[in-house]
Amino acid sequence: MTATAKPYSKSAKTHDAHHEDEHDMKQYLMYDPKPRGEMNRMVMESMTTTSWKFWVVFAILGVLVATCFVYAWGYLIAEGLGVAGVNRPSYWGIFLVNTVFWIGISHAGTFISAILRVFKAEFRRPFTRAAELMTTFGLIQAGASIFMHLGRVWLSYWLLPIPNQRMLWPNFHSPLMWDLLAITTYILSSTIYLFMPLIPDLAMARDRSTGWRKTFFKILALGFRGTEGEWRHLTTAMNIFAFAIIPVMFSVHTIVSWDFAMAMRPGWSSSVFGPYFVLGALHSGMGAVAIVLFIMRLTMKHMDYFIRKEHFDALGKLMLIVTFAYTYFFFNDYILQWYGGDKWTDALLHWLEEGPMSWMFYQLILFNLVIPAFTLWNKKIRQTPWLLALIGFIINIGMYWERYLIVPVMLTINRAPFTWKLYQPNIEIFLTIGTFATFLFFYMLASRLIPLIPVWEVEEGQMTHSLRKVGKAELPTISEFE
Amino acid sequence: MSDTTLLLAVFEEIDPAANAVEKLHEMNIADDDINIISGVPIAHKMLGRPHPWTNVSKLSLGGAFVGFCVGLFLNFGTPYLYADTVSVGGQYVTPVPPGLIIMFEMTMLFAMLSAFLGVLLDSSFPNYRPLEYVAEVSDGKIAIFFRCPNGEKQKICGCAYKTRRNIR
Repeated sequence: MTATAKPYSKSAKTHDAHHEDEHDMKQYLMYDPKPRGEMNRMVMESMTTTSWKFWVVFAILGVLVATCFVYAWGYLIAEGLGVAGVNRPSYWGIFLVNTVFWIGISHAGTFISAILRVFKAEFRRPFTRAAELMTTFGLIQAGASIFMHLGRVWLSYWLLPIPNQRMLWPNFHSPLMWDLLAITTYILSSTIYLFMPLIPDLAMARDRSTGWRKTFFKILALGFRGTEGEWRHLTTAMNIFAFAIIPVMFSVHTIVSWDFAMAMRPGWSSSVFGPYFVLGALHSGMGAVAIVLFIMRLTMKHMDYFIRKEHFDALGKLMLIVTFAYTYFFFNDYILQWYGGDKWTDALLHWLEEGPMSWMFYQLILFNLVIPAFTLWNKKIRQTPWLLALIGFIINIGMYWERYLIVPVMLTINRAPFTWKLYQPNIEIFLTIGTFATFLFFYMLASRLIPLIPVWEVEEGQMTHSLRKVGKAELPTISEFE
Repeated sequence: MSDTTLLLAVFEEIDPAANAVEKLHEMNIADDDINIISGVPIAHKMLGRPHPWTNVSKLSLGGAFVGFCVGLFLNFGTPYLYADTVSVGGQYVTPVPPGLIIMFEMTMLFAMLSAFLGVLLDSSFPNYRPLEYVAEVSDGKIAIFFRCPNGEKQKICGCAYKTRRNIR
């Protein structure tokens, strides 16, 4: 059998009448190439073109960061944890809910960037950076939430294994100590993993900027020129990171789950909590990526060229797969506890189903399992950006409820009924708004300062895609350049 | 005065760039005297160039070993640095299963930090001195910098003129 392949190059003509298939292929970014210079211009314009609406939203977020994050946290530090709602038996409140939630959000960045890079999933190319940014900024919020929970933050260095006069030794048996090491590893590695593929795009931005932006990009680009050696070192390191960061990603949320599962407490002590948490993290993270891509496409110039329906479709399929995997682990965790016959676990399950927080339990099932499973089957829904973003938003509400039920509610329903008292958050509400505002504030700031589209990766992808003539049909073909 | 000249050729596509490299080889210009700059990673095979070396993998492996040792020390060494070791819940002072977690995290952390360090060292980053570069490279063009003997300059430029290549 013989076949001929032609590159889908920038000079490819698509006007021939018999090339209708080619016209269809233009809906895919990889088969709709533009000259690199034009893509660079589009990305630079998306960074520098800012409407007044952007600044209004940015200012509102700035006020929220100043009041709900900086001032509220300062007040908490000054007054102590007494101004928070945490109390016996709910020693862990919304701070820990936020920690788990933000670590969950951070998982999608690594999943999309690293796993899809390892498996060479081509649709990942235009939005890996947007997802990686979520990882870094999400982890910052997770870390901040832990420090809020610590209360006396000035003593947080006690966690570090350093010699000290008090002879305090960090207990490496403790899941909280594992948390410290795992989250530190994850935040450092994911930030470097965000930065490395950014270097060539920073160099591109350096070549097209003036004034303070040029200085800014020049410093960050580290002097990158694009020599064979520089590319070799960079791509080798990116491959190492892609493989190494995946087990780290899994370990982080597994260890977070062990914070709970290692305790002999109704609802917590479960051997499937590790994978259940990892799937939950991916579930909320994927939903968050859909929201971010929708907002980027809606608000940033030229983003409709880079982020297309095909990307929402692919993301929707991933969300559907994750929904089923999450459903499996949710049911697995539930059914074993339900069958177990332990008196207090039974009491907890009845309380979830019939108690004052049952609305949260049923919304969890509806938002995390039912709605995504019954909607994401539909290709039209998957390819409609606002609908996918809406489903992502619903999933995130459901996942937040899930974490809320696991942390303060399951602490409330314990083996000592005389202590049962529902947790009422106080300053935590402001600090929660503060973490969301800070995340969005950072993200909006980053959208003005760094190229959110990895242009070189998009160009590389477009170079590797071609149409191969087999008989009378032209079929899409991908080459491997590495 | 140097007896060699630095020349630059800029190409829009890979094929003519690969042909140019081949011509330079035919003119006895060594690979060490040729430096190719591009806006996307181009495999060395496509341009007929030798495989570029990198120490990133080795450094990463070394970093992983150091990280493993750090994890070992944290878990099995630090408890004995204190006069009165703390025994929690009747557990061993230096248990293996939790130690595996510490060693895993430290191994991965140091492996990745070393890989990044390898990029910085091998590429001599950060480097803000002026070096051979043309900004068109980030617009997708391929730049070939090469050194040739002064006497060969006219010959090479003439060859380039015939093939309508842009030599500067």
